[in-house]
Amino acid sequence: MTEPRMPTSRSPGAGLKALGPWLRVMAQRRTRLAIGALLMLSTMAFAIGLLTLSGWFITATALTGMALAAGVAATLDVFTPGSGIRLFAVGRTASRYAERLYNHDTVLRLLADIRGWTFAGLARLPGRELARYRAGEWLNRLTADIDALDNLYLRLLAPPLVGLLAILGVAGVLALALPRLGIVLLAVLLPLWGVITLGMALAGRRPSARRIETLERLRVRALEHLQGLAELRAFAALGAHRGTLETTQRRLLDDQRRLGRRAALGSALVTLGVQGAGVGILCLALLAFTAGELSAPVASMLPLAVLALNEGLAMLPAAFVQLGATRQAAARLNDQAALSSVEEGTHAWPLAPGEAPEVVFDDVSLRYPGMESTPALAHLDLRLAAGERLAVLGPSGSGKSSLAQLVARAFDPSDGHVRVAGRDVRDLAPVALRARLGYLTQHTELFHASLADNLRLGLPVDHGLGEEAIERALWQALWIVDLDGWARELPQGLETWVGEAGRQLSGGQARRVALARVILRDAPLVLLDEPLAGLDEATAGIVAERLDTWLDGRSVLMFAHRRDALPRCDRAWSFTAAA
Amino acid sequence: MSASRSTSSSSASPARASRRWLAEQARDVRGWLTLAVAAGLAVGVLTLVQLGLMAWLISAVVARDATLTSLWPYAAGLGGTVLLRALAQWAQETCGLEAGLRVKARVRGQLLDHLAALGPVRLAERHSASSAGQLVDQVEALEGYVARYLPQATLAVVVPLLFLGVAFWLDWLAASFLLLAAPLIPLFMALVGMGAQRLNEQQFQAMTRLAGHFLDRVRGLTTLQLFGRTPQATDEVVAVADDYRRRSMKTLRVAFLSSAVLEFFASVSIAVIAIYIGFGLLGYIQFGPAEQLTLFSGLFLLFMAPDFFQPLRLLAQHYHDRASALGAAEGLRDLLAQSPPRGAVESLTGDASPRARLSDVVVSHPGRGRVLGPLDMTIADGEVIALVGPSGAGKSTLLQLLAGFIDAEAGQVALREPTRLAWLDQRPFLMQGTLADNLRLVAPEASDAQLREALAAARLDTLLATLPEGLDTPLGERGLGLSGGQASRLALARVFLSDAPLVLLDEPTASLDPDSERLVIEGLATLVAQGRTLVIATHHPAVMRMADRVLGFDAGRLTPRATHATPEVPS
Repeated sequence: MTEPRMPTSRSPGAGLKALGPWLRVMAQRRTRLAIGALLMLSTMAFAIGLLTLSGWFITATALTGMALAAGVAATLDVFTPGSGIRLFAVGRTASRYAERLYNHDTVLRLLADIRGWTFAGLARLPGRELARYRAGEWLNRLTADIDALDNLYLRLLAPPLVGLLAILGVAGVLALALPRLGIVLLAVLLPLWGVITLGMALAGRRPSARRIETLERLRVRALEHLQGLAELRAFAALGAHRGTLETTQRRLLDDQRRLGRRAALGSALVTLGVQGAGVGILCLALLAFTAGELSAPVASMLPLAVLALNEGLAMLPAAFVQLGATRQAAARLNDQAALSSVEEGTHAWPLAPGEAPEVVFDDVSLRYPGMESTPALAHLDLRLAAGERLAVLGPSGSGKSSLAQLVARAFDPSDGHVRVAGRDVRDLAPVALRARLGYLTQHTELFHASLADNLRLGLPVDHGLGEEAIERALWQALWIVDLDGWARELPQGLETWVGEAGRQLSGGQARRVALARVILRDAPLVLLDEPLAGLDEATAGIVAERLDTWLDGRSVLMFAHRRDALPRCDRAWSFTAAA
Repeated sequence: MSASRSTSSSSASPARASRRWLAEQARDVRGWLTLAVAAGLAVGVLTLVQLGLMAWLISAVVARDATLTSLWPYAAGLGGTVLLRALAQWAQETCGLEAGLRVKARVRGQLLDHLAALGPVRLAERHSASSAGQLVDQVEALEGYVARYLPQATLAVVVPLLFLGVAFWLDWLAASFLLLAAPLIPLFMALVGMGAQRLNEQQFQAMTRLAGHFLDRVRGLTTLQLFGRTPQATDEVVAVADDYRRRSMKTLRVAFLSSAVLEFFASVSIAVIAIYIGFGLLGYIQFGPAEQLTLFSGLFLLFMAPDFFQPLRLLAQHYHDRASALGAAEGLRDLLAQSPPRGAVESLTGDASPRARLSDVVVSHPGRGRVLGPLDMTIADGEVIALVGPSGAGKSTLLQLLAGFIDAEAGQVALREPTRLAWLDQRPFLMQGTLADNLRLVAPEASDAQLREALAAARLDTLLATLPEGLDTPLGERGLGLSGGQASRLALARVFLSDAPLVLLDEPTASLDPDSERLVIEGLATLVAQGRTLVIATHHPAVMRMADRVLGFDAGRLTPRATHATPEVPS
């Protein structure tokens, strides 16, 4: 069985460059990021300070106590270290709380930035690119990719930086006491830091990227298994399909095992490195004490500072072993952004506002990508005069919707030209074209928002209408589609929430809301793809009659199986069986 | 385990049931979990040994003027302890991981069995994407709970007790500072738990809404573009995310307090112990064990204090694993609690027996009452039966009953052996993959030649001839879009691929254009010519004409209609 094709990164070997654009988005908040990292660092500093000072204090008091017991006069200021210890204890708690709160705020701000940025990028994609990306699979993928980037700062950026600074800071303190101690610490912990960040990232690169792919494939397989259950069970093929599903799962578990083991190895290395360094520094410090180079309290406090580094490094291996997945997510999102740099036409609309345009299909052929040998349209010539109403008829799959999509530029013809108002649609600025176009697509797309919001979307962008005029326009449009009575009965009227993808409405109602939205656009060129589909006969009659009046003076292309499924038209044109 | 029981919330009993269910799933991997706990315990013991040796070395060199060179075996032992500790830690994580992975595989298997047993009719009550989500994401959510939380929940009790024991042996007063914090530990965990749970529930809801909004707008991007509304929609996406931030920060301010409390106790205990030991060593404290304090016991106690709280802090870190596993478990339990149909289809043997027989069969749907029956029906071998009637009359129910997808409330369904059947759905299922994949879905062993033959029988050979990639042409969202008629004929090709004697067809010509209708009906005629038994739910006059018997429904009972009755207008 061939695996479903996934959009993959075009440059798998691009290393960490893929993260570049996202780091730039984050850099817009660099002050916040710096403060967040400083808070992390101060939390660590307080923790290290608490242990270190306590170790110094205990050793110092023990020595003083022994001296006193031996009858030697000795004094020790106990109040300064005592208050220092209290300060560090309270400071560590406060700093940690502030750090968590502040950094979560930052992460949520970044989430808004990243979503806004991605959405703006997607919105710039030409309609024809977007049409290829409508699949549910792609949407899931997009969400997962964005989620992967949400945590970039808190998991992969700040912690390694803070860990590195803490290593350097402790090494500095050690070096102040005795330079060679600092150097030994750096010699052990800097390579360790490299291994648990970059090393882990390398070790996890392939399996973590593959894990995401396999998880996605498992999702596809699971959906197949459930949606095809009737067929699979009836044909006794359930076992075979389950076999492929379990193979996919096994692959996923294998990669997860690989990643988990590598991360476990990484944390074991952290323990070995940090505790080993602590023990090593202890031995060196004790030797130095014997040699008279260090005082006893300092000799016993230094290893404690090293041990306290564990906290800052322990989480790094598990985070970095998954870096490959994050990088791949970024690369995929970048690829989409790269698609949006397509040249678009710039010409203004050549007619007066409200003047109905002529539409000409001149020897148009259309081949969908990947299906070059079977054109959806071949050498088609068709002319819609200004102000004319033309019905385009044909069986499903004959290319009706393709005609509408060519005018709206969801696709461009492979050969020939589509002209609107005498200009090739490719030369018109997309904004100018869309402002003059009312297009009821074959699929009904309503948004999870109020009825009013869904309708207002249809209003011309620069409508300049007051609230009252808008209200009137909405009701007028609802009247045309015969939903005004229904809307008035709703307890919340136009503020009624329309469910996910408009699901709380019946298919026919959703269709009519979409039609009302097109009516509100008040465009001189109207494309209606199966406008009355899904309506019962009586309603279809009423809507057809009211549409008839509204369509007067506009250029209209209507698409359906049969002519009697459409409002009145001047002329009908049929796809021949050959098309 | 006290730590996990202390979360009191309004939904205590479903949470308890979910915990029980999770514990049951983990039973199979008890071995791995025990190993993980044992390794974690070893980490605790080795940590104690390491810290004790470090304190002892310092005290020997500093207070007793020994030289490190003379103590080298102890220093070497210290190094060995660190190495063993790292090893034990690796073992703990690896064993936990293995347990988590195995539980996932097990639960997924169980779910697949159950979903298959529920059958397509019962499954249709659920959104298939959400069931698939349960199979994938909710099962994934169990890993962290089994791999990390479960071992840590035991270790968070045992390891601090171990440390406490050693601390008592060293100095009971210092130990009691740790112990003072101990009764507060269940309280911490309740606080942490409540915080985490509330955080998780609210965050999850808000996050779902946020993700839903974003997805909704992306899904409708084409429409937004058509209406020139993308700039406003972009602003809206940012505004909704920002609103989410402001609301969740309110929750977080409280939720983070619980972990701050844990942090506070850990910090203050270290400070109090350090100051107590310091003053004790100076001889300022004249009662209790303070006078027996030495540099060794003092340093050892200090070294121990942070590690006493470490298992609890780790548990708090893994708390979100628990919350998401509990959430997932609730959904999974609901699904597994649904009782599947028995699918009790009996077999008839002998060449003379009919292809299928229904005796006194009654079918009821919850909420709709009796849908079918009582009815008796005998389907002869090679017979073609058309079931007609308005939607909801019981046509599909009868087909589902024959296929064993639903149970009869009373009566008996029997099929002649072999009981294999072929099924053609009103909306045939197309998978992502090639044309060949879609056919092999029901006949994994079929050769390319057999696929071509089946496509030809289903009148799809002309389409196949136009495809440059032939059988390897991808179908579905990213490939060739089949029209409704082509999809029906593809489903018909699946029927041709199987040699099942009984073929059940649910409105094979619904919503097709006349050309496609004709081709599908030609295909059906070929099936009849092969001598197969066909039961077809249909509105189509041409299909009815093909049938040996046309049966209508009258209040759930079958009534014969004339085979060449006045054709109904197809709806």
